[in-house]
Amino acid sequence: MNWLLRLYPARWRERYGEEFAAVLASQRASVGLVLDVFAGAIDAHLHPQIQQSRAEQISSKSTQGEDTMTLAMLTRCASGGPKLSPSERRIAFRLSILSALVIAALYMVLTKIYRQAPAVQAVYWTSIFFPNFIYQQTVYLKKRLWLTQAIVLGAGLSGMYLFMLTVCELGSKL
Amino acid sequence: MLRKPKNEVKDDAELDDFGRFSEPALLILVSLAEEPRHGYSMTEDIEAVAGVRLGPGTLYGALARLEARGLIEPLKSEDRRNPYRLTALGTRALRARLDSMMAVARTGQRRLASA
Repeated sequence: MNWLLRLYPARWRERYGEEFAAVLASQRASVGLVLDVFAGAIDAHLHPQIQQSRAEQISSKSTQGEDTMTLAMLTRCASGGPKLSPSERRIAFRLSILSALVIAALYMVLTKIYRQAPAVQAVYWTSIFFPNFIYQQTVYLKKRLWLTQAIVLGAGLSGMYLFMLTVCELGSKL
Repeated sequence: MLRKPKNEVKDDAELDDFGRFSEPALLILVSLAEEPRHGYSMTEDIEAVAGVRLGPGTLYGALARLEARGLIEPLKSEDRRNPYRLTALGTRALRARLDSMMAVARTGQRRLASA
């Protein structure tokens, strides 16, 4: 009877296949059972969104512009968007917190030494995006080579800092 | 006319839009209200409680919807039989739906008695 499982979408089989097969094996074969599985398979094909988790649904709605940007950010920050294992979520969360603390400490030290120089101000404005950049390393770049991660993060952060530095320099001359 | 408190209406609405899976979903929630169960255990319990044996297509159609709505959640398991349990939202939704059904039943009984 396990051949009936092939009627279901791959994603559905991946999620429920094994336990479904266990329940299927426990039932006596009958026309009613086959019809029930057929109907279930049609439903699974017609409603693929049902196989998404709640977080994935929120995430996909956000990308369609149906939700606010804040909700999208919250979903991403809660590691609800990309597929992450529990340990990856913990690492992403800790990295975000740690990077925020590190950049805050760096800003305080720089302020103490250089006061309100434009370069220090640029660190302040870049720091707003810093935890998010670091977070990407464990989320969107997790399967990339470390060199790729370093280049993407380095280029992103450097670009952001240079932009902020330009803005701060211009602002100080006005 | 039956009236429900506003928050109860909201919790009760969590079980709306289930279509033909509405009744199986309710039976699953009732089954999980006692303890976490896996699919086979649920079908056995539901058959014992309600006299209905859910086919795997119906069972997992309802389970997937309940999980997507956040009313139930899977627990980690060593074997391939994944147990599920009610979430806090699922508990509230079940309670609201049962209260609603009891109110209808009470009204029906009262009207029958006075007929």
